[in-house]
Amino acid sequence: MVLCGIALSGFTVTVVCDIVTRALGTPWLWLQEVTMTCFVYGVFAGTAAATRRNDHLYLALIAESMSGGKRMAIETFSRLVVLAVAGCMAYFGFINFLSGFHTFRMPSMTPLASFYAAVPLCGVLVALFTVEQLVNGWQHGFEDQE
Amino acid sequence: MTNGLLIVLMAFLFLFLGYLGVPVAFALIAGVIVTAAFTPVGLASIMGQLFNGIDVEALLAVPFFLMVGELMTAANVTTRMIVLSQAMIGHMRGGLAQVVTLFSMFFAGISGSSAADVAVLSRTLGPEMKREGYGAGFIAALIASASTMANLIPPSIMAIVYGATGNVSIGGLFLGGVVPGVLVGIGLMIYSYFFGPSGVRRRRATLPEFGAALRGAALPLVIPVIIMGGILSGYFTPTEAGVVAVLYILLVVIPLLNRGYFRELPRELAHTGLLYSIPLITIAASSAFGWMLAYLRGPAVVSGWLQAMAGNDPQMIMLMLVVLFVIVGDFIDAIPAIIIFMPIINDLTQSADIKPVHMGVVIITTLAFGLITPPYGLALLMAAKFTGVRFARAMIDSLPIYVVFFAAIAFCIYFPDVVLWLPKHFLPQSVGCFPNPSAPGYICP
Repeated sequence: MVLCGIALSGFTVTVVCDIVTRALGTPWLWLQEVTMTCFVYGVFAGTAAATRRNDHLYLALIAESMSGGKRMAIETFSRLVVLAVAGCMAYFGFINFLSGFHTFRMPSMTPLASFYAAVPLCGVLVALFTVEQLVNGWQHGFEDQE
Repeated sequence: MTNGLLIVLMAFLFLFLGYLGVPVAFALIAGVIVTAAFTPVGLASIMGQLFNGIDVEALLAVPFFLMVGELMTAANVTTRMIVLSQAMIGHMRGGLAQVVTLFSMFFAGISGSSAADVAVLSRTLGPEMKREGYGAGFIAALIASASTMANLIPPSIMAIVYGATGNVSIGGLFLGGVVPGVLVGIGLMIYSYFFGPSGVRRRRATLPEFGAALRGAALPLVIPVIIMGGILSGYFTPTEAGVVAVLYILLVVIPLLNRGYFRELPRELAHTGLLYSIPLITIAASSAFGWMLAYLRGPAVVSGWLQAMAGNDPQMIMLMLVVLFVIVGDFIDAIPAIIIFMPIINDLTQSADIKPVHMGVVIITTLAFGLITPPYGLALLMAAKFTGVRFARAMIDSLPIYVVFFAAIAFCIYFPDVVLWLPKHFLPQSVGCFPNPSAPGYICP
């Protein structure tokens, strides 16, 4: 969550600098790259934090109205789905990251890989937090995590 | 497997996993990953699509407008706007119900999110309304319905997402949203006046009382002027207008009205940082879902069906889309719905020669209505939770209010000239007008 705050503060400052430098007639073009980098990393870091805090958008929380074994089974299944998706994000995101070394961002010519790295990092963090939730849920019940 | 079957599989997996309790973003990605396994599409490129979904500069406006709403709420500045609303119309029949609607119109001009509006009203006016004898179901229904105006009156996060993904002028959508926003507001006031509880009748505020309330709310009320003034003058993009509004709150509003709040600021920033990532990861996942849908030629098939039923009649096509989005909005959140269905909307907009801003306003109004319809009426769910009433009760009390939304949507479809009047006069190029080569002004086809 702290990382999200830092990212948010970061791109707020860069957008302000962008307006100011443009108003002064000497725009710093690279500021837009920094802005988007902070923004994208903030989104993916926030995704991981939201997973840990159960703060995501949900269509329905059917499991919340259940208890006992049924609830344990549904909560476990939904977290295993998240774990599988996180695994795909980490592995295939890493392959995508490697392909990003051949393309570059303008005007700084930074490899796009520096940008693409956010997806596999997010995948790893989400996987770790999901495992944490699974272990806690199995030990203390999923009701405590609400 | 045929493309049609794959589309059904992908949609089924998303809804099944979503309703089982998997977060929307992960349910969307899971649907795409499983479907991709039956196609030649590599999963690495799906991950690239996740990234591309949010690598859009216009989406930067989303966190800023969320931050504006959060800062105003957390710093307790919004109560001044409630006091102003009370001074203006608190003496009418159903006074507090009228105040809820008027405050929501003011607040909609500052924040682009219904969630902030629901949270503020449920905490402040909700308990007072209960004391005055308003039913909890009515309170939840009214607060939820009024909060939908945040998505219509600029700045609107839905309009930003629609504009960014559909390549439609965000400024044009902002201005186009004013008419349905005001219509919904007036409709709710009329409904509360004639059909709502009468509440406690208050005396009319005196002129000095009104003046004091206006002075108290003057600083926050400058925010819509900064946002729309900056965008309309062409000096700011919507993103920059958002950041200027944030700076105005941090440097002017909070120091003058609630200086002690600065101690809370770091925690609030971290919280807002988390808050903005939640809709945006859903946008990223929806973008991958929409991309896969387009790969399977889903938009062409669906727009083919709709055109077969509606022909090329623009109003009929918009009506069909409204029906589609009322159904879709019942099951999924507005932001993923916009992104997933954008290729279909674009296809139909072009084929029926509809102005993209007009189509956008109709779709956004319909999706705003989806915020109060079951089973996934997010605003109504939140309002019911905050006011401590069962969702079913709040839903029953919101049923008569549907008429207001149906009227607003129908008005938007059948009176495009009225809806597009503001964009045409202030941002002519957003509605397809072009500079007159031989005289000053614009030519609007």
